[in-house]
Amino acid sequence: MRGRALRSGSDVSLTSDVRPLTPRVFVTISRKCVPFTPFDRELSKSTIAIVTAGGVHLRDQEPFNISDELGDLGYREIPPDVDSTQLMVTHHHYDHSDADRDINVVFPIDVLRDLEAEGVIGGLARKHIGYMGYTMQLKAMYEGTAREIANDIDKGSRADAVILTGG
Amino acid sequence: MKGIPTVLITVSPEVSAQMRPPRALYPKGFKIGNSLGRPDMRELQKKVLGDALNLLSQNTRPGEIVAVEYPEYGEQYEPPHVKRVSS
Repeated sequence: MRGRALRSGSDVSLTSDVRPLTPRVFVTISRKCVPFTPFDRELSKSTIAIVTAGGVHLRDQEPFNISDELGDLGYREIPPDVDSTQLMVTHHHYDHSDADRDINVVFPIDVLRDLEAEGVIGGLARKHIGYMGYTMQLKAMYEGTAREIANDIDKGSRADAVILTGG
Repeated sequence: MKGIPTVLITVSPEVSAQMRPPRALYPKGFKIGNSLGRPDMRELQKKVLGDALNLLSQNTRPGEIVAVEYPEYGEQYEPPHVKRVSS
């Protein structure tokens, strides 16, 4: 079954062969400049936030809606002092059995705390983010969700830099 | 907004490269679901996270993905390949 061509209005267009779990993706290479913010700080004095597309959230937060074929555009805020055993994954487009055992394989919150304890980083940001990266609504994801996450991190987390992970 | 420095850890480097991330690390051979390594391999996870954070201060080329080998990860996995369409 051939999917729709989504002309996003940017320099990226996407066609997809819509099959669950094994999509083939054809994407034109971006011809625009790479957005880049210099990091002019000492890492040992910097706070770091994690933003993961791996569908991570707290057990008492609403899970991502994996029955929606278009994908869930929402995201969850995760506090820095979270007990990592209270984190879980809701995502149906990758095998997260390892993350179910140890969330740090996609959301390295305990690892970040270790690096703080060792003085490698200055500290953890005030908030971290989990969202579900699978989407058939690419434009809504990068014009909506991505902007909201960036604003949230920028205004509310005191992060000096962000680690991004998928799954 | 002035911008936020980021580093991506990707286990699908060909997919990620299409979006030309400002900074990115690919731990070679790690499977999807193991961005930082395998469960409970804390020392390896620290190494991967530390290497990714160090890219912030290195003179990396924006849009390129730095591949790093971690032999302690063990069995290697092939990342997904994508077909590139040039316009």
